[in-house]
Amino acid sequence: MTIVVARHEKISDRFYLVALAQGLVVTMKQMLRSLFGKGIVTIEYPEKRREYSQRFRGAHFISVDSKKTENCTACYLCQTVCPADCITIVAGERDAATSEYGVKKEKRPLSFDIDALRCCFCGFCEEACPKDAIKLSRSYEMATLTREEAQYDLKFLVREVKDRG
Amino acid sequence: MTAEAPAQPTITIDGRVVPFLPGDTIMKAAEKAALDGTIPRFCYHPGLPVAGTCRMCTVEVEKAPKLMTSCSTPCTDGMIVHTQSDKVKKSREGVMEFLLANHPLDCPVCDQAGECSLQNYNYEYGPRTSEFQEQKRTWSKSTTKKLSDKLTLNMNRCIHCERCVRFTDDVTKTHELTMLNRGWKKELVSAEDLGVVSEYQGNIADICPVGAITFNDFRFQKRVWFLKPRPTLCDGCSKGCAVWADEEKDTIYRYRARRNDEVNGHWICDSGRVSFHTYENPNRIVEPLLKVNNHLIATNWETLAPSFVKELQRAARIILVIGTDATLEEMKEILTLKSLVRNAVFDVRFYNGTSGVHTSADDKAIDDVLRRLDQTSNTKGAESLGLTPLSQNGQGSASSAYDLAIYFRGGRAGIPLKLATKEFGWGVFSKDEVQRFDGVLPGLATVEKSGSYINAAGNTQKFVAAVKAKGSSASVTRILEGLFVVARREADLGVN
Repeated sequence: MTIVVARHEKISDRFYLVALAQGLVVTMKQMLRSLFGKGIVTIEYPEKRREYSQRFRGAHFISVDSKKTENCTACYLCQTVCPADCITIVAGERDAATSEYGVKKEKRPLSFDIDALRCCFCGFCEEACPKDAIKLSRSYEMATLTREEAQYDLKFLVREVKDRG
Repeated sequence: MTAEAPAQPTITIDGRVVPFLPGDTIMKAAEKAALDGTIPRFCYHPGLPVAGTCRMCTVEVEKAPKLMTSCSTPCTDGMIVHTQSDKVKKSREGVMEFLLANHPLDCPVCDQAGECSLQNYNYEYGPRTSEFQEQKRTWSKSTTKKLSDKLTLNMNRCIHCERCVRFTDDVTKTHELTMLNRGWKKELVSAEDLGVVSEYQGNIADICPVGAITFNDFRFQKRVWFLKPRPTLCDGCSKGCAVWADEEKDTIYRYRARRNDEVNGHWICDSGRVSFHTYENPNRIVEPLLKVNNHLIATNWETLAPSFVKELQRAARIILVIGTDATLEEMKEILTLKSLVRNAVFDVRFYNGTSGVHTSADDKAIDDVLRRLDQTSNTKGAESLGLTPLSQNGQGSASSAYDLAIYFRGGRAGIPLKLATKEFGWGVFSKDEVQRFDGVLPGLATVEKSGSYINAAGNTQKFVAAVKAKGSSASVTRILEGLFVVARREADLGVN
């Protein structure tokens, strides 16, 4: 069934030039304002970058100690709490006799994989971590050319991130 | 006057009247009345002698001046017990605070977390805060100490319940472990530092209420809260111990002893505990194999079934060797294979394969606890079906040369020496065992199938599948169904 809706257009409406001119005025007003006036909303990315809040949740990293060893103890708490199921850890053991840490840090992650494409950046992992190991940096440039690059491994995660990026 | 039977004595626990047998302790009476779990305990274990050292199970007994340990106090008629009174709760809180004074806060890396008595009881009974401001006691040398190649000790976590010491004293009677020094310096050591040597070490890790003693095979493998316990049977020997198979996503990570007072009590042996690796073995054959140009290649059921049926119908003398680790149901079912055979000799034998064990008469206990010589689970079952054993050395007699041999087994029975020109394996095999075969039909392992075994004592034990089958491996029923369909279709087509 078709519903016929009648349009009651005035002569001025049918004569489109008026509306056209009105639209042009709005455009020009915005253009001139962003060129000379105040209240510019865009920035010249990537030359200029926006400073995000300290609480912004971006690309993951794992904090390291002074000897560049990851603080993670492979306790699986982040993997347990993760609602997106994107963290996969395999735990291993450092030999206490030969490790410079002795019995400290005897449990360690053999692999620590995060599927950044699945991650929903809720920050639960950060909150669950008893060692403050896994953290979300302020880096938001996470676009990749392939899906494989978005699979973060331990080598990528222990990269140096100063002041949360 | 008729003599009245003496009324059964009763005690009152938390207002409930509970009958008991003379000699029962309060703990036992509470357990019988399904009040289990209401009395917390560390040192008490039903399979071990009572020690009464941890003071966690103390309860208030009316008219007794002090709290009594429920694990060691015998019931008397008319006794009135309170397990949840304020006095009891305050005592438990005190015990927990003392235990936690020196206990490290390393639950995140401790394997016991999730099934730890100390953790659980602290949630229920413990104080929320601690008054302990001093430095915690630590053991520099025994924080990660190998008690043997199977056990690791972390003395920092120990709460001195001495379950492990009593286990080596009373169950295995090997007396390897003992407590050295007293009080603050009390330390678990092995005699002359020789480590634990018994074949039942895994149980020590099981009964340790905290993470002080861990089993190396499971150490750091999985956090326990991911695991789902499935009841099953250990098929490592003819004892048929009840176990929990802890699995996640159809992968088994460990076996734990499951209480069955008729068979294994509370314990299982170490070789049984790690026997699940046979099924998790990456070299296990889980796809049908067929020999082409002298090479075994992985194929599918659609290819394997017709060539297997063809071999069956071409052969003049066939022998079916059933391993004594198959279930009763499988043994009965696989005998119907005979109806696929045309006018050929069809011999059926069972084969054990354990050195020195031929029939169940050769089977004997090899220690005082559990282990038995027969390394398969169902020798008695094969005999109960009236099957005859394969000759002593696993070789067919010279006069009976066969054209086709089919070896059916569940992964534990031995494979006989070459019996026929063509050989097929059916069941659970690993890669290096099958090289001489002409084909393999992958079957199910104990944890993947349901059925029943008859153990050495003659107990028939039923079990259900714990995990899903791996790869294309299939049950005997399904494989037989497929073979019959193929045979019927080829008969219809007139293929010979």
